Formats: sequence, structure tokens, C-alpha cells
Amino acid sequence: MRHEKTPLPMIAVHSLTGCAGELLVILENLDKLLPYVQVVSFPFAQSKNEMRPVDIAFVEGSVSQTHDLEKLQQIRNNCRWLVAVGNCAVWGCVQAGCAKTSPQEMLKAAYGQDINFDALPATAIDKYVPVDVKLSGCPINATQFLSVTASLLKDHLPYITKKPVCLECKLRENGCVLIEKDLPCLGPVTAGGCGALCPTFGAACYGCWGPSEDPQMEAMSVILEEKGYAMDEVLGRLSAFGAPKELFSRSSNFQNRKSE
Amino acid sequence: MTDEEKIIEIPEICRVEGHSAVKVNIQDNQVIDVALDVFEGTRFFEQLVVNHHYEEIPHITSRVCAICSTGHVVAAAFAIENILNIQVSEQTHLLRELMHLGMIIESHATHIYALALPDFIGAVDLLDFAGNHVKEFTAWTQLRKLGAAIQTTIGGRPFHPINLHVGGLSSIPTAEALSQLLIELKQNEANAFNTCELLSGFIPKTKASATPNYLALLPEASGYGFFGSTIISSAGWQDSIQNYQEYLTEVSVPYSHAKRSTSKGQPIMVGAMSRLHHFSKRLTPAAKQFYESSPLSKGDTNTIWNNLAQAIEIVEAIERSKNIIEKLLTEPSELGRDCHIRRTEGKAGKAVGAVECPRGTLYHYYEIDEAGKIQKADMITPSAQNSHRIEADIREVVNSSISGDEANIQSNLETLVRAYDPCNTCATHMVSVHYKQV
Repeated sequence: MRHEKTPLPMIAVHSLTGCAGELLVILENLDKLLPYVQVVSFPFAQSKNEMRPVDIAFVEGSVSQTHDLEKLQQIRNNCRWLVAVGNCAVWGCVQAGCAKTSPQEMLKAAYGQDINFDALPATAIDKYVPVDVKLSGCPINATQFLSVTASLLKDHLPYITKKPVCLECKLRENGCVLIEKDLPCLGPVTAGGCGALCPTFGAACYGCWGPSEDPQMEAMSVILEEKGYAMDEVLGRLSAFGAPKELFSRSSNFQNRKSE
Repeated sequence: MTDEEKIIEIPEICRVEGHSAVKVNIQDNQVIDVALDVFEGTRFFEQLVVNHHYEEIPHITSRVCAICSTGHVVAAAFAIENILNIQVSEQTHLLRELMHLGMIIESHATHIYALALPDFIGAVDLLDFAGNHVKEFTAWTQLRKLGAAIQTTIGGRPFHPINLHVGGLSSIPTAEALSQLLIELKQNEANAFNTCELLSGFIPKTKASATPNYLALLPEASGYGFFGSTIISSAGWQDSIQNYQEYLTEVSVPYSHAKRSTSKGQPIMVGAMSRLHHFSKRLTPAAKQFYESSPLSKGDTNTIWNNLAQAIEIVEAIERSKNIIEKLLTEPSELGRDCHIRRTEGKAGKAVGAVECPRGTLYHYYEIDEAGKIQKADMITPSAQNSHRIEADIREVVNSSISGDEANIQSNLETLVRAYDPCNTCATHMVSVHYKQV
């Protein structure tokens, strides 16, 4: 038996605040990993879990409360490679991208004046701890997940593409839903990795992989406005899945210039 | 010992979606207090959607929960189409229903096998489950793959669908893809039957619970189904979902991030057991046969049977999916046609949409303005509706076994809570009991 001679590398799968989607993807692909790793902690899937040093810790979800933050710091102290899995962990996803007010104001609106739960503004995990690999997607792509894990098990950091969705769309020879159908497709500013899923189905990309490398937000805003989408809707769409605020400086400058 | 205070505490329940803990206070052999603390981080979806255009809503609400994402998408689409007075084609409606059945199969299979079954067969972890219970592990793998295949064919991926929108689908699956699903559905019938037989054989460790107030959506057509616009209660009334605020009250509790629902002051139970209680007569023959030989048909309301109820629903979902695909394939006039969805402008209003998710009725309520933007939203999830009843159930189980073995009580409690399949969208698994003299 292999693991009696050489111990298998150890992994842990943790979850902060999110929809548990990445846990499902990992769970559904675990049979492919089980011959090569020992699962030390995966509370979603098994009863016996330990917080102890592991080779790879996968973390899904955003930091949205002190409990998440404490857990994240414990995880970081107990792993060699920390992999942020999914849009929540990498960008903060909708709970960050669609939030308009402070958590305290949202708490009062949701639960009433008397309730004061602990809530932090939802953020990506690299705001608080160093992250070795960022695996975006909402949900992540199983093939990307397996290849990233294989790389780390071989001791080297993986390459993850951040080229825009358009590239994958062209490779699939799809018609352009933005140009031909006037749909508000965010493919030109969104990182690929999904295989251009939405445009392949004839729908507009809504940005669930987070921004691509060097996203041209200003050009994107201009095109969508030309297509008849109001600027506030354009900005809402661009930021919904957690694209960071600094990317919008040019779009908002543009908006200000226009209104002058 | 007199005046002994005992606290049973399960700091984090594993093998459930999300994060929750149970605390039970016992004094003088009586349960004083039960608290189900859902400490999943708050996400404020009702506020996140405000000011977003209605077209974006299904993509955002999908993220409330991965495993029920299809339910959140469909409920949102129903509500918004209701406001905008959009009538979708029969084909769209059937494809949505097929997609929803895929979610039911995948979610129920994962709950039964990966989350609940280890309680019954004593598997300690996944490796143990995969290595030592090969037959069960394979059945789970095949059933969840079937559910995922249905959702991928219709929605584009196993969850967080990209092909379902307000007003219709962005593309229609081909006849070949649907025929392939039909083959996979037939191949999985034996797995579904075996799952029912497996779960029928278990003997519950805890006593039957008091009969709950069962709430479920009255299926829209004559069959068993998961879509509808009228709620029916075992307390003897029914009402339109548009009036949900009249029969459903949500309150905040200081110890949990999940709100508590009551119906006319009473705890309620939603989900597979509730649906079977109301609509077992509408099941297709295979599912009906399993129901009729089950303890459920004899009026046994022990919550542990929720797992069996889910297994019966998998049989039903497979039969219904086959019927839908056969209908789509024999009446293919629309199949394969591009169906580009256009915006509907200039109509403000408010409405509710609801679906029966794996765990029970899910409500989405929206108010939109003339620009098509969300002004107000309310979402009531099945787990929030069940949480009050879970606490009542815990109280009953602990009271009835209070002099029993501590370890047993705790393991029974976890099994009980898990039977509800609460989705609180786990950390160190710890169960601790504290004794202290008062």
C-alpha cells in the first residue's frame, strides 16, 4: 500500500461565508483526488476533522464576520499552500459587489433595530492573509481545480489564465452576443476559464469569474451605453460579482466628464 | 443530584450546508431552552438585489445557495414574470420543470448518501464511505451525476444556471441531448428504487415526533409537482402565495442569523415529508408503491423518515422527468429554435413567486419600478421555516431520552437535525456536554 510507505500529502477544505458551491464541486470531484491525498478536514463532507498542518488548504467563501477571520488566520497558520477557491474567496462575489451600505445598516434593515450581530464588510480573503493561488469562478471549473491541485502536489505554482472570456468565445466560434444581439455581455472585461459558457448558450456573460487582466472598463461602459444600457446599470453589472472599485475610476471619470 | 444544570452543546453540525450549532439547556431533567444557532455569515440578499435590473436578479439570487440555485432562479423568474405579465411558452415551462427535477434528484441524493447515510451505516469519513460502502457510494455518484447532467443540459452547468432567464431560456437543448438524458434517467431507476429500499430498512433511534403543521405548494397540474401558486396547510386552510405575509410570520432571534417562521403562531414543517403528506395520491405508480409500503403512509411523523421521503421523491422526479422529455420529443415543433428574450419596459408592480425546493417552499417577493429595477425584495427560505420546528423536535427528543446515555442523546440530536437537511449556507466537529451545579 502506497500510503504505508510514504504518507500522502494532506489537504483541508474549509468554508467561510458563501453558497457552498465550491464545496459541491470539490466533493463531486473528490473521487479523482482520493488516491493522491489524505483529507484532514472537510466538515461539509465528513465528521472527523482536524485543524492541523496540511500541504494544501482550500478556502471558499468571503470574510463576512469575525468568526470567518479567526478561522482564516488559523487555516493560514496551518497550511503550506493556501488556495482561494471561487469568486467569494477571490473577489468577494455578490455580497461584496452588490452591497451599498455598511453591514451595520444592512443588519438593522434585515433584522430590526435591536439586533446587533457581528458583521464585517464582505471581502476577498487576501485582504487579511497571503494567498498562494487564486482560483476564480462562480462556481469554479472542475478541470481548473484538478489541474491546480495536481500542480501543487508536484510542488509548483499553477498558471491560471486571466485572458478575457472573448478569447474562449472566439475559439468556440460563437457569434458575438454583444455586437450581434445587443446583449450586455461582460465577456471583454471578464476572466475566462469557464469556456465562454454564457455566450455559447446565447446569453450575455455577467462577469462571475471576476475581472480579466487589464480590463478596459471605460471602453466597456461606452459600448454598453451605446447599446442603450443606462450607465448606472452598466456600473451595477460591472461590479456585481466583486470587481474591485479601483477598476471603475476611469468609468466614473468618463461618466463625470459626460455630465459636465 | 438535584438542581443540576446540564447543557448539551453541538458547536458546529457537520455534513450540512453552511454553519449551525445546537444548544440545549436542561434543569432538573427538563429541557429549559433549545437554541438552533445558524451562525453562517449574514449576506443580506434582500438588500443586495435592490437597484439592480430585473434581468440580473436570477444570476444574483442563484448565489443564495448552490445546491438550490435552480429553485432560487425559478422562484425569482416566476415573481418577476408575474409583475411584468409575461407568459412563457409551454416549452420553457417544461424545461424549467425538468431543470428543477434535476436539482431535486441531485440535492436529495447528496443529502441522503453523503450527508445523512453515514449516521445510519456508521461510515466515519468519505474515504471510509468510498472504500467500504462501494455500492452506496456508486449509487450516490450515479444519481448526483444524473441530476447534474439534467441541470447542465438545460441550464449550462450543474448549478448556478446561465441559461434560465426572466421570460425564457437563451437556448433550447437539442433533441439528441434530451434523448441522452432519457437514457440516463432509465439507467438510474434501479438506483432510485434501491435507495428507497435501503432507507425503508432503517429503524429510527428516536421516538416519533408530534404531528407537525405541514405546509406545501398545491401542485399546479393534476400530478405531483414542485411549482404552484397556492399554499395548503394540514391545519385545514389554503391561501394564495401572494398573501404569504398573512399566514407566514418571520421574526429575528438574538442567537441566530436565521429568522424564525411561524404560521398563525405555530411552528411549521416544509419539505419532502410535508409534500408527501399532502399529495401522495398524485405520485406516479412506482413512487406511490414505495410510499404505500412506508411508515409515512401509516401516519408515522418521525422526522427521521424525511430521508425516506426524499428517496421516494427521487423515484417520482425520475418518472416525471421521463414524461417531460417524452412530451418534448414527441411535440418538437419548437425544439432547437433560438429564443432571444427581449426586455419588457415600463411596468411597475409587486408579486410573489414560489417553488418547492428540496427542503420545502421557497418564496421570492419583489417590487420593481418602471425602469425595471428592484425596489424591495423579500426571500423566505425553507430552512428558516423549518428552524422553529427543529427546535421543538429537539426539545421533544431530549425530553423523551433525558435519562439515557449522553453520547447517544448527542448523536441522536445530530441525526435528527441532519434529517431536516438544513441548509445554512463546518469547522471542528465537537460535541460537548457541560454539567454544573447551580
